[in-house]
Amino acid sequence: MANRLEIQDLWVSHEGKKILRGVNLTVPLGEVHALMGPNGAGKSTLGKVIAGDPNYQVEKGRILLDGEEITELEPDERARKGLFLAFQYPVEVPGVQVANFLRLALKERLGKEPPITEFYARLKEAIDLLAWDEEVLSRYLNEGFSGGEKKKNEILQLLVLKPRYAILDETDSGLDIDALKTVARGVNSMRGPDFAALVITHYQRLLNYIVPDVVHVMMDGRVVKTGGPELALELEKRGYDWLKEEVAGA
Amino acid sequence: MIEVLPTNPEKLAERLGEPAWLKEARKGAAAVFEAVPWPSRKTEPWRYAAGRLKNVPFDLPLALPKDRTLSRDALPAVVRKRLEDAELAGFLVFLGPDLVYAELAPELAEKGVVFTSLHRALKTHPELVEANLYKAIPAREKGDANDKIPALAAALWTYGAFVYVPADVEVEKPLAAFFVSEAEELEISRTLILLDDHARLAYAEEHLSESGGQAVHVGMTELILRPGARLVHANVQTKNETSHHLYRQRALLEKDAALKDLAVNLGARFARSEVGSELLGPGADSEMLGVYFGAGEQHHDHYTLQHHVAPHARSDVYYKGVAKDEATIVYQGLIKLEPAAQKTDAYQTNRNLLLSRKARVESVPQLEIAANDVRCSHGSSIAPIDEEQIFYLETRGIPRPSAENLLVAAFLEDVLGRIELKNLARHVARVIEEKVRI
Repeated sequence: MANRLEIQDLWVSHEGKKILRGVNLTVPLGEVHALMGPNGAGKSTLGKVIAGDPNYQVEKGRILLDGEEITELEPDERARKGLFLAFQYPVEVPGVQVANFLRLALKERLGKEPPITEFYARLKEAIDLLAWDEEVLSRYLNEGFSGGEKKKNEILQLLVLKPRYAILDETDSGLDIDALKTVARGVNSMRGPDFAALVITHYQRLLNYIVPDVVHVMMDGRVVKTGGPELALELEKRGYDWLKEEVAGA
Repeated sequence: MIEVLPTNPEKLAERLGEPAWLKEARKGAAAVFEAVPWPSRKTEPWRYAAGRLKNVPFDLPLALPKDRTLSRDALPAVVRKRLEDAELAGFLVFLGPDLVYAELAPELAEKGVVFTSLHRALKTHPELVEANLYKAIPAREKGDANDKIPALAAALWTYGAFVYVPADVEVEKPLAAFFVSEAEELEISRTLILLDDHARLAYAEEHLSESGGQAVHVGMTELILRPGARLVHANVQTKNETSHHLYRQRALLEKDAALKDLAVNLGARFARSEVGSELLGPGADSEMLGVYFGAGEQHHDHYTLQHHVAPHARSDVYYKGVAKDEATIVYQGLIKLEPAAQKTDAYQTNRNLLLSRKARVESVPQLEIAANDVRCSHGSSIAPIDEEQIFYLETRGIPRPSAENLLVAAFLEDVLGRIELKNLARHVARVIEEKVRI
């Protein structure tokens, strides 16, 4: 189907260990979905596998973007089709300036060199939205950034590259409340009919600021429950144990 | 490898119209050549390169000057291209052993700056040449295998550049010499750069090829820095990948003299580059940068020497490069401190980036310290390209070749950023970018 990110019966292993055991998930354009679950459930793995991390082996299943299978594509090909992963642990790339990196990435995303004025307009808009300083553009990519700055930089890239589908992998972890609000403001500004996000988080906290349309819960490598925003609140209140029992009993 | 000189050095001296002292020097060098063995694996500075020498066709005919000249428009295309983005106060172009073109800003000539071929200087400034030639690189240093190639070069050089900057004269824009190999010959060149007290100069020598072929080039460059002189010097080798290039450079730094050197190896099948500085006076300062990129089956072999004779001097070697495909990269370096060299600051760093599993790098920094009140450090590293960084860049839509290019540029950024000749640094970066992509 067009206009959606679809995961169909996805089985994945890493260094011989099975991590995903038949994930099914659909995120239509125009919606924001949250992906919750206890530690080790496979949430981050799912994010990396969708982005094409070569360290993981897909054993079975398919990933479709707008109806087109992307399971075997290189990470850069997926990105050029409009997919974006905000890393849980953004990588430091010393020697590469943020502005140069963004210009190269945007050129690849657009398929042509962006006019310099348009490029700087995009940068300015994104930086203002994140209440950041332009000084960041001349710094080396993530080098010497605090944990919060690294997360903010992921959102800066999101805002400049304007993907259609974004996966945010624990973008909230390690953020204080002000940084959390800033990051949420960035993501919310992207919301609209041509944007979908899968927000991976361990806690309900972020979802107070990025209110999801749908909440999925993963356990032991599968999506075990899907519901509305109230599901996140219930998990916050009751933890995951009741759900584990429910799944075991089913 | 050859055991007998292909040409009689005395006859060569006569043919080239040289003075008696030079004829004698050539004769003496020939005797050294015949007395010492070729470097072997046991010759420490040649540990990884000696094996390559047997593949170098030293038996090619010796390149002899044919007195050709060219107009600026008729210069080889590789040189004309380089001239487009170089802002120079003067330059020489050697096609094979012929100085085919020379240009020098008239105001520099008026100030007494000399920039010409070494043979021309023998006629116009005989006493300057006689007093300084073979001073930094004698035919015989220790009488061992390390002298073999310098002895060959001292006996049979047939062309090269001469630069003299008088005391207190500052040459603001750089000078350059372009050495273009064009035939399958044994080319032996010699460059002498002499900076008088407090003179200042920036100078680049570039070694290029006009065509394919297995030319062998043996080049010796002597740098003589009188007290307070400051020299920015670059040696950039971008020759075709079937040629052989053996280069030795030695700088003599007197009191408060400063050298900022750059050695670049990007081309040639086998390139050997020996760059040494002798810190002879207190306050002398030698910064030695190196940049290399080996691809295909290239072998780039580097040797650096920081020889501290005087106290209170400083030297800093920073060599960085990349090995791709099945290339071999070698770095060997020695910091040698004499007993009198107290209060020395000497540093030596070599960093290597591997773009392929089949590429090989050897990195051997060494210290030999006979003084006790000194600050010395050395370090080296060899690391493959970071796959996490590649993946991160790929997830932003950047294809792997571009991501590799970005990471190579990032890796070399600090050393390229330290190059004083900015146009040259951009040229080097462009050549490297092409080499990553191919």
